[in-house]
Order: sequence, then C-alpha cells, then structure tokens
Amino acid sequence: MASASDRSYTRRDTVLFLVCLALSIVGLVVPPGIGLSVADTLRETALAPLVWLQARAQEGRTSRERFRELTAQRDSSAYLAQGLPSLLAENERLRQLLSLSRRLSSAYVAAEVLHQSQATDGRTLLLSAGSSQGVSPFDPVVAPEGLIGVVLSTGARTSIAMTWAHPEFRVSAFTVTGNAAGVVAPSLSATTGEGALEFRGVPYRDSVPAGSLVLSSGLGGVYPKGIPVGTVTGLVREQAGWERVYRLLPAANPGSVGHVLILVAPPSSDLAKAFPSDSLLEALRLDSLLRARRADSLAQAAREVAAARRDSIARARRRAAARDSAAPPAGAPTATPAPAQAPPAPKPSPAAQTPAPVRRDSARGDSIR
Amino acid sequence: MMPTRANRLQVALVLLILVVLQFYLRPRLWGPRVSPDFVFLGLILFALRSSPGVAALAGFLVGVATDALTPARFGAGMMAHTVVGYVASWARAVFFADNILVNAAFVGVALWVRDLFMLLLGGAGDRPLFTELTVYSPLEALATAAFALLVLMAFRQWFAIRLDV
Repeated sequence: MASASDRSYTRRDTVLFLVCLALSIVGLVVPPGIGLSVADTLRETALAPLVWLQARAQEGRTSRERFRELTAQRDSSAYLAQGLPSLLAENERLRQLLSLSRRLSSAYVAAEVLHQSQATDGRTLLLSAGSSQGVSPFDPVVAPEGLIGVVLSTGARTSIAMTWAHPEFRVSAFTVTGNAAGVVAPSLSATTGEGALEFRGVPYRDSVPAGSLVLSSGLGGVYPKGIPVGTVTGLVREQAGWERVYRLLPAANPGSVGHVLILVAPPSSDLAKAFPSDSLLEALRLDSLLRARRADSLAQAAREVAAARRDSIARARRRAAARDSAAPPAGAPTATPAPAQAPPAPKPSPAAQTPAPVRRDSARGDSIR
Repeated sequence: MMPTRANRLQVALVLLILVVLQFYLRPRLWGPRVSPDFVFLGLILFALRSSPGVAALAGFLVGVATDALTPARFGAGMMAHTVVGYVASWARAVFFADNILVNAAFVGVALWVRDLFMLLLGGAGDRPLFTELTVYSPLEALATAAFALLVLMAFRQWFAIRLDV
C-alpha cells in the first residue's frame, strides 16, 4: 500500500499532467489567429535565441553551399583560363596555315602532326596524311613560318617527316638578298645547341649580316625555291679562309607545330610570295585595307549615281504628266498653232520657266528610254 | 528512478548541449526530416529520470516551443509531447530497467508515437500520414535512437545508466 507521500506524489503528477493536457486542449481549440499570435509572441521573446541560433546555422549552411558553388565556378574559370591561351595560339596558327594555303600556288595536302612522347620527337614527325591523300616521299613539309622538313616515308594514311632537326637533314639555301648561297644543316655542336641550324659552305668572300633571312634555293630537286629556313644570328666558324659557317635561328619549330602543309606538286615554282616577310605582310595588309576602302568609295559612288537616276526619272515623269495635262483634248484641231497665235497658256511654275533643267531632263529621259 | 545519483547540473548541461545541437547542428545535417531530434531526445532523457508530472510539464514546454516554431496546428505539439513525456516517465518507472539498448529503443519508439499523435491531431490526410509514419518517422526515430545510444554511452555516469545488454 502506498504511503501518504507516495500518494501525494502521484496526485501531484496527475494534476500536472491534467493541467498540461488541459492547456494543450485549449491550444487546440482556440481560433487559429490566437494560436498564431501566441506562437509569434513566443518566437519573438522566449524562443528568439534559439531562432537566432538556427538562423546562424542556416546561414552557415548556405554560406558553405555558396562557397562550394563559388569554388566550383572559380575552378571552372581557372580551367577555362588555362585552356584559353592555347586555344588562341592554335587558332592563330590555324589562321596562319589557312593564309599560307591561300598564298600557295602549288598543290598541297594539309596534315596534323601526331606528336609522340619519345625524346626523338621533333627529329621525325608522324603526319596524319599518307599516300592515299597523294603524299609521297621527298615531299616538302612546311608550316606558316617556314620549312619543317621532308617526307621520309609514307603509309596509306600516315607518313613520317624528317625535320630540319634530324642529323641527316640538308637543304640548299641562299640569303634573301641573294649575296650568299650554301647548305643548311642542323647544328650538332654543343656550342650552338641542338635546336639551331648552320648555314654552311658560304664563300669566305661573302659575309652575311645578322638578321638576314635564308630561303631554300630550289636546287637539288626536293625543296621549292623561296621557303624560309631561318634567320642568321651570328658566325659560328671560319674554315681555312675559304668557308664561313653561320648560325641560323630556325624559322619553324617542329616540336610545337600542330598542323603542316605537305607540298605534293613538283618543286618548280617559286614560293617566296607564299612566305612573305613581316614587312611584306604589313604591306599586304595595308594593300587589302586600301582595296577595301576603294571598294567602299566605289560602292558609295554607285549609290549616288543610282539616287541621281531615280531623281531624274521622277522629274521626267512629272514633266510628262504636266505636258499631257496641258495638251488639247481629243477632237480638237490637230494643227499646232504658232506660238504667237496660241492662246495665253497658264502661268507655268518657276521650275518650268528654267530652260536648262528642261533640256537636261529631256536628254536624260531620252537616254533612259 | 534514481534522480539524485547524477548531478542535476551535469544533466542540465547535457540538455543544453542537445538544445544547441537541435538548432545549430540539425540544420546543417542531411535531410532535416530524417535527422535526429535532439530536443525530443533531451525530453525523453529528462523524463526517464523525472517524475511523470514533471516530465509532462517538460513535454508541455517542449510542445509549446514546437508549436511556436511550426504553428501548423497550434496545440498538437503540446498535447503530443505532454502525453509522451508523461507516459515515458511513467512507463520507465513501471517497466524498464537501466539498460542502454532498451533506453535507446524507447527513445525511437517514443518519437514515432509523438509523430503519430502530432499527425493525428494536426489533421494530416491519409496519404501523408501513411508516408510519414512508414518512411520518415521511422528513419528519424532510428537516427534519434542511434544518437541516443551515443549520448547514453558518453554520459552514462551522469544518467545512471547500466551498460549491460
């Protein structure tokens, strides 16, 4: 049997429970407006710290998600920014190649360079065009900047090109001024470095200033005349008083080239115009600008002439209409009265009184008819 | 019940931590509908070591706060939490031993019953009622029970809980 304290304890619990239950029922049955106002009051007072805490947590979560989004956007932008310069460079190279293909007068095959990971990549290149596209051994390979090399062997869809960096590469060349001729070969000495060319066999009496452009001479039957090979950067050595050897900065870099043109036509034509120097390119650009401006002025003149023709036609029609209205009606005597006997005509307009435009309009009307 | 075995201040500290977790950690967790209900866990832990009347009062206060924050049906939270708090305290005094797994499971069951009360009193339709009681409420009960297990293991001395299974 429960003691008196236990009974009061149980009674107190029951009372508390019933009171809470009654209050809950009151909360349930009160009009929603009152309930909402009570809830608002509680949120603004007693629960305000908890709501503030939850708001901070939600802000933290939102900030974290926003931070993730921003980080992702930044990473994407960085990734795009990394690729943009290479895309621009490739775009520029493709434009140059397209420009070169327009300037080339001989037949060619465009090919992609399939770079390999080997250390010898750059001495020989794997090209994406082969005999099925008309490529054959000893076809010259050029880039917009100049000579790359020559096709060494061909497959059906691919071919191997030997570049100027190959130890066996040779090309007969001369300076653009024409004062020296020789043979260009890769430099294999440690002093000049492997990435340079040598302009050998230049007669001792001929001196080539630094900065001279060296072109292929067309001798030997492999390379056409006029392809840039390199630019003289200095003297390497002089041999026994009969030969000078110059160092050349290559015109084209096989290691970084992505697209090339393979010249499949016989090397008979002069390709110097296809590889203009910088000054010549500038002149071509200015010439094209002048031509564009000239074309614009011609078009403007044509527009003005057309407008003048339209005006004269309109004036001629107005004059013809005026003459028709001034003519006698049908059934009237056909004899044209003399001007002196004619009845006084209505006063003409000031424009009709001017004789010169009348002559010009009639003349133009005749010419139009 | 041995309410005097644990320090009241320590228990109050745990309850305060649970309240902070409810309003600061819960919004950051995964789905809010299946995250542990820390305040309800605190209510049950409090009810397990309190008299039924005090547990009912605590439940009523928690219900008031719940209704103030989600006033979809004012009064439903009060009644549900009052009943659950009172029954939890009374049932624990009558049936349960100080067993950690039983206590954790009791928390989960109590949460499901609380949701049942609130949905019935809130006038939820048949389909939402079925979905809540079969999907979301069990998941929330499981998460809350799991967290209750962690809390009871961490603060078993304060809550005077035995670890025998």
